[in-house]
Amino acid sequence: MNPFVLVQPRSHAQAAKVMAAGGSYRLPVLKAGGIDVLDHLKEGLLSPDAVVNVRRLGAEGPAVTRLADGSIRIEAGATLAQLASDPILLADATVVAQSAGSAATPAIRNIASAAGNLLQRPRCWYYRHAQFECLKKGGSMCFAVDGENAHHAIFGPGPCHIVHPSNLAPALMVLDGQVHLTGSKRDRIAAADLFHMPDKGILSEHNLEQGEVITHLTLRPRPTSGFHAVKAKQSFDWPSALACVSLRVEEGVIREASVCAGAVAPVPWMLPRVGAALKGAKATDDAAIAAAAELAAEGAKPMRDNGYKVALLVASVRRATLRALGRETPSFREIRP
Amino acid sequence: MSNQANTDAATLPPLANRPLNIGSSMNDDASRLDALAKVTGAAKYGRDVHPANALYIAFVRCPFGAATLESCDVDAARAVPGVVEADVSKRQGNYHGATVGHVAADSPLSLRRGMAALACRWKRKGDVVTTIEQGIEAEPELPVDAKAMIEQAGDRTLDATYSTEVQTHSSLETHGACVDHKGDSAVVYVSTQGTSSARDGLDEALGLPASKFEVVCEYVGGGFGSKLNGAGKEGMLAARIAAKHKRSAYLFVNRAEEHLDTGNRPSSRTRVRVAFEADGTIKGGHIQTWGGVGPNRGGGGVNVPSGRYRLGQITTAHADISLNGGMPRAFRAPGHPQGAFAEELMLDEVAARCGLDPLALRLRLIKADAIREMAELGARLIGWDKRLVNGAQAGPIRRGMGMGVTSWGRFPSSVDAEVVVNRDGSVEARTGTQDIGTGQRTVVGIVTADAMGVPLEAVTVRIGRSTLPPGPGSGGSVTTVNSAPAFMEAGKAAATQVLELVAGRTGAPVNELTIAGGEVRRNGAKVMAWKDACALIPDTIIGKGRNTQKTVAADKTTGTSGGAQFVDLDVDVETGVVKVHRIVAVQACGRVVSRKLAESQVIGGVIQGLSYALFEHRLLDRQTGAMVNPNLEWYKIAGPKDMPLIEPVLWSKDKEAAGPRPLGEPPTIPTAGAIACAIYNAIGVPVRSLPITPDKVLAAMAGKGGAK
Ligand SMILES: Cc1cc2nc3c(=O)[nH]c(=O)nc-3n(C[C@H](O)[C@H](O)[C@H](O)COP(=O)(O)OP(=O)(O)OC[C@H]3O[C@@H](n4cnc5c(N)ncnc54)[C@H](O)[C@@H]3O)c2cc1C
Repeated sequence: MNPFVLVQPRSHAQAAKVMAAGGSYRLPVLKAGGIDVLDHLKEGLLSPDAVVNVRRLGAEGPAVTRLADGSIRIEAGATLAQLASDPILLADATVVAQSAGSAATPAIRNIASAAGNLLQRPRCWYYRHAQFECLKKGGSMCFAVDGENAHHAIFGPGPCHIVHPSNLAPALMVLDGQVHLTGSKRDRIAAADLFHMPDKGILSEHNLEQGEVITHLTLRPRPTSGFHAVKAKQSFDWPSALACVSLRVEEGVIREASVCAGAVAPVPWMLPRVGAALKGAKATDDAAIAAAAELAAEGAKPMRDNGYKVALLVASVRRATLRALGRETPSFREIRP
Repeated sequence: MSNQANTDAATLPPLANRPLNIGSSMNDDASRLDALAKVTGAAKYGRDVHPANALYIAFVRCPFGAATLESCDVDAARAVPGVVEADVSKRQGNYHGATVGHVAADSPLSLRRGMAALACRWKRKGDVVTTIEQGIEAEPELPVDAKAMIEQAGDRTLDATYSTEVQTHSSLETHGACVDHKGDSAVVYVSTQGTSSARDGLDEALGLPASKFEVVCEYVGGGFGSKLNGAGKEGMLAARIAAKHKRSAYLFVNRAEEHLDTGNRPSSRTRVRVAFEADGTIKGGHIQTWGGVGPNRGGGGVNVPSGRYRLGQITTAHADISLNGGMPRAFRAPGHPQGAFAEELMLDEVAARCGLDPLALRLRLIKADAIREMAELGARLIGWDKRLVNGAQAGPIRRGMGMGVTSWGRFPSSVDAEVVVNRDGSVEARTGTQDIGTGQRTVVGIVTADAMGVPLEAVTVRIGRSTLPPGPGSGGSVTTVNSAPAFMEAGKAAATQVLELVAGRTGAPVNELTIAGGEVRRNGAKVMAWKDACALIPDTIIGKGRNTQKTVAADKTTGTSGGAQFVDLDVDVETGVVKVHRIVAVQACGRVVSRKLAESQVIGGVIQGLSYALFEHRLLDRQTGAMVNPNLEWYKIAGPKDMPLIEPVLWSKDKEAAGPRPLGEPPTIPTAGAIACAIYNAIGVPVRSLPITPDKVLAAMAGKGGAK
């Protein structure tokens, strides 16, 4: 790690000024919790001359608030731990609380921020190791294609086959989330427009411009929403597949459904066909829910070693839907001493 | 059937079976003597030692499975301010992590800059071998006798291939050494499993006679067999550089290097072809094994058949396959967990083919009576009667039970023990062994206190220095087995010398005097306070004890520790995820020194076995040969939420053994096999390849590559 200047801005707007192109630093990096930024510094994937620390900004106010128009506001610096236990989210945006609470480990959740979680970089083992000059680092090949791809994408044409790592992003997608910005002319971008596929730009996964800083997020409340992730290991592991579902249910019938998957494609992967199939189904119609979940597999093009993720995705979608409906999902026995 | 009722929870006694273990040891309640130092950080490991003005050293390593160093700017590295040495002597690497040179600099930052300035350009070589399958030219023919036996058996044969992946030791404290150079003498802090032996060879490297330096190793953050090679190449290089520059030198490898180049449990492939009878009796057959080792052959043995079961006439053959990967080293019961996995799952497959309960079959095949009794006890404790036949369940969550057995023999090791009694009544127990996390420091204290009749608090244990009397290395489960007799002897000798002084002063016959409750007593009545007795000592008292090959040979009682483990788990068949709920581990270890430490060894062995069964996998990239997961993120190790309720049961009926018996290795042997059997029981198809990850469970259930 090379020496750098640590900048402690007093506001997001000030941070945006430091970050703006043509500012005082050649390669400034914005850091919130720093979980992902520090990993990059240690592996030598980033060598900033300035680290702009926004971690404590807004920490004195509430992490989550209800706005006058009924929407919910989440501060950029809210920690995953705060989101997981927030009463407003637990009541009215369950999928956010559940997805935040399932991410990473308790220690990481205490530090990791909402904005940082959305913008963290992929965990692809070729990207993360300096000796692989892969597409994402400006190299000429994706090593996963003929290499080790058990944890790579089952959707998308490439040429890069990362999966989007964020738990929070798909939750935001199914609640029509908005990402609020400072530092440029626009003041927000829809969560749905935040990310792009690799064929639209490989060096970065998101559509923010240099100098744009996230101030907060807003989203639509949806009490009937749910999350499910499948992890091989229950501590300190990444989901092999996850699903976020939000539903509007009237008189026992699903009227609206929005479904988004994570860890299966280079971006949070919307599943509109599943949503359409859920519409009109009775909340108690297990067969219809299962049939809708099967549609999640449509269009999947697994690589050599990741075909199993298709089944995990289908199971995640079905279980997230059941969870949104407050129904029981298959779960292991509980054994306590 | 969706959620299975939580039927067991209510019937489990609090704290599981631990009450079974109460009263089984010399000291049931003692906690580790260094527990507080370790949790507060007061304990300083070798890695924590940073002498002033030290040089920091790193190896230059090959980043791929096979590559040629095309260019490397040694002069640029030497020109970096602070760099004192840069040397790259080799141009080829045949595994990721192979060392080709080093850089030494006066700070970690200069070192990093020096390494970067080398700007090594590596050209990958074409093909790399990353799996055993790749290296096998042809499946071997059956030997004639086995072939005849198998042909004759008709349908009653099993032909199955079991495989396991490379497991790295993943020691929390990485390998390395720090030389505190003091001009004409030195202290060498090494993270080692052999304090006394780590001194060998350092004299030459340091340019100092053995009398002028000391190896210090007060605390070790894990080794599991990978730190039995003296000072290691890390320590030797640090010593050479320290000698050359007459400065202190520090070389501890980082997490990635720890995975790449400090040893591992090699991968394995076991092809079993056996014939059996309708009642499950195994007539025999042939077992061919392969071990996936480093570029040089050697170290890939697979311990199957284990000899724990009657398997008829078995012939065996073994071949090591060279991989473009880091070399193996001894790893907690080398060759055993991989062999036990194949053997236990094979037995469950034979039992299923014969329509037999696998416990019933094993009770017939187990050779040792003690292990059979342990299996019967373990079966009762796990609730084996609730086990359903393989694959009998429907629904997304299916329950499985499985079992496996273990044993480990006693190896002799020489130990010199000294027990010093000071005039103020304090006691020191001294030997040059080390505590690699097993609790050896505490064991020495407890045995000494027990032998003398003084409280544990009165004993200060001195270990981890090469200037102490030679102590045992920590490998092969020998440390407690061999040091306990030496400290019993030394403790008794020291106590006797004190009692002789008391006898001289009071006229009481020495053989009627005892030490207890802080007093010297005769027939239970106080003769003198311990402190007053010690005040009679003219200078200090040293009691000596020695354990040798001869001591061990003279002890005709059993030297073997047997055991049996039972697993109760769930498999989510929609996702392939496995959740282990309970593991009952019945384990013999002769006379138990410390209940808590013994339980802790068993629990640790089970955890390592569970992690091996479900998660651990050194993954080499098939194209470049680089390890893609040299970290603790994608090299997965079981974490808190993956822990089952582990119930160690210390086998109290082990009266055959005169003293402590091996305990470090045996509890990690059967766990993976027992888990694989339980998964087979749950889903009805065997998964014959470790680690048993969701993809493999789903593929087995879909009929792809599970049972053939
Ligand atoms: C072992 C492990 C397991 C994990 N498991 C999971 C998991 O299951 N699910 C999951 O979702 N994540 C997981 N993570 C990732 C972790 O949640 C993220 O790294 C973390 O949320 C990042 O948040 P941070 O605040 O630390 O971000 P930082 O590391 O500080 O920043 C990350 C990125 O966001 C940018 N950024 C931060 N704040 C702003 C802002 N206000 N405006 C604009 N840009 C900003 C930074 O510039 C940087 O590019 C895991 C991590 C580890 C180490």
